Amino acid sequence: MAPRWLLIAPALGVVTVFFLLPYANLLLMSFFVPASAQPYQPQLTLVNYAVALGDPFQWQVLARTLKLGILTTVFTFVLGYPLAFNLARARRRVKGVLLVLLLSPLLVGVVIRSFGWMVLLADNGLLNSLLRHSGLAPDGVKLMYNEFGVLVGTVHIYLPFMVLSISGTLQNIAPDLELAARSLGASWARAFWRIVFPLSLPGVFAGCLLVFVLAVSSYVIPVLLGGFKVLTTPLLVVQTAIDVNNWPGAAAQAMVLFVASLLCIGVYFALMNRAMRGLSG
Amino acid sequence: MKRRRLPHAAFLGFVALLYVFLLAPIAIVVIASLNAGRFLVFPPEGLSIQWYVKFARSGPFVRSFFFSLRLAAVTTVISTVIGTAAALYVVRRARRSSLLRMVLVAPLQLPGIMTALALLIFYYAVGLGGGSYAGLLAGHVLVCMPYVFLTVSAVLYHFDRSLEEAARSLGAGSITTFRRITLPIIKGGVISGAVFAFITSFDQFPISFLLSGVGTTTLPIQVFDYLRFSFDPTAAAVGTINILITLGVVILTERLVGLESLYWGGRQ
Repeated sequence: MAPRWLLIAPALGVVTVFFLLPYANLLLMSFFVPASAQPYQPQLTLVNYAVALGDPFQWQVLARTLKLGILTTVFTFVLGYPLAFNLARARRRVKGVLLVLLLSPLLVGVVIRSFGWMVLLADNGLLNSLLRHSGLAPDGVKLMYNEFGVLVGTVHIYLPFMVLSISGTLQNIAPDLELAARSLGASWARAFWRIVFPLSLPGVFAGCLLVFVLAVSSYVIPVLLGGFKVLTTPLLVVQTAIDVNNWPGAAAQAMVLFVASLLCIGVYFALMNRAMRGLSG
Repeated sequence: MKRRRLPHAAFLGFVALLYVFLLAPIAIVVIASLNAGRFLVFPPEGLSIQWYVKFARSGPFVRSFFFSLRLAAVTTVISTVIGTAAALYVVRRARRSSLLRMVLVAPLQLPGIMTALALLIFYYAVGLGGGSYAGLLAGHVLVCMPYVFLTVSAVLYHFDRSLEEAARSLGAGSITTFRRITLPIIKGGVISGAVFAFITSFDQFPISFLLSGVGTTTLPIQVFDYLRFSFDPTAAAVGTINILITLGVVILTERLVGLESLYWGGRQ
């Protein structure tokens, strides 16, 4: 009989060769010297980080990326919580239908979904044509090729992730707890704030983390709905690597984005910890 | 309870609006593909199938469409086989090895565009270069295999091993046991994993964006290239066909194993 480890060997091989090694190589690349004739020179240096961290333009791009990531997280949370609450409390039959509605956007590619928003938000798109026709805004409103358009796109794409994450924990909260609070005289709102909401925080926590990480690294939406007017770090990284042909520079920018996201996540963890303690105290 | 009726109705209305928000761009793509004008405006300009005709006549779109289908099919087969094998090993042999699990699903957790960049630079470093079919395929397998691994592991955790032992003690060989006992039980997980893998590959953007080249352009990249600098409603026709294919795959899965396994498998 064949040895058991043969089962794991192909998958582990793929991840090692096509994932772990390339990322190790990317990290190494960020310390190489950029060159003009070829993409890099294999000589160690810190110059890429000095450039990535010393350039006000790159800080501005990074700040915009993080801002859009945080705004996306906040909006998906505000819109996602009611959806998750409704989903978790729905009857079995209804829940199946709601799940299909919630999951079907995930099954359509991000390029196609961005195109759908382009049809709606473009200067001569459907919404603007409605606005003009109704006389609300005869000159139309700029809905796309700006940060607003990008935000609409990212919120739309990542909302289902937030909903699934929150509804997972909401579902596991015994309805008896809420009933107990109500029977002891708490109002519906008070029962929600003191019982249900605190218990659902782990799902909120996980959902926010997931959405933030996905949002700061999204590429298609800023390009199609931002129209190169909303430059974010992933766009800059690809530009530096492909158009400028400066691999070490691009690698360093990517590393800075990773570290900056990690720092944001660290701050978020600290804030959440305090919030949790405040609620339980 | 009467006091709560009105807020409750408002709440349901809000939830309904959010579902409209979620589904609007998809419905709009389908509507735009049948629209006569270049832009979807109010009042509508009438029905037409001209964008489908344009799609069918466009060489690059049709070529990339069939290329995407083939690539997704090959990716699905490879991902399903190695993902299922890995799940069999990890769940049974290495129950406590959470490190192994983490490593295998890590490709889903790092941003796709960064993984693609790392792969591109790596391919040049090892002399494979950019735009090769093998490189693109490996990238697709990398991000599709974890789905199969997750869905099959989810089923395996609830698997009663005594069934296998019973078969073995009744004289079945290891291959017969796998074919007659193990496979039928994990079938649901395998099929939903394969569906995830197919859809992920067919809709894949970041990996294909940096790793495809001349002759290996996938459909999403072709559409993206058209939309990047101008607005072309042919994309709506492509999008609608894409949506129909996805819908077909999902309905087929529903028939075979039920949609719930798709949901729960993916959530584990």
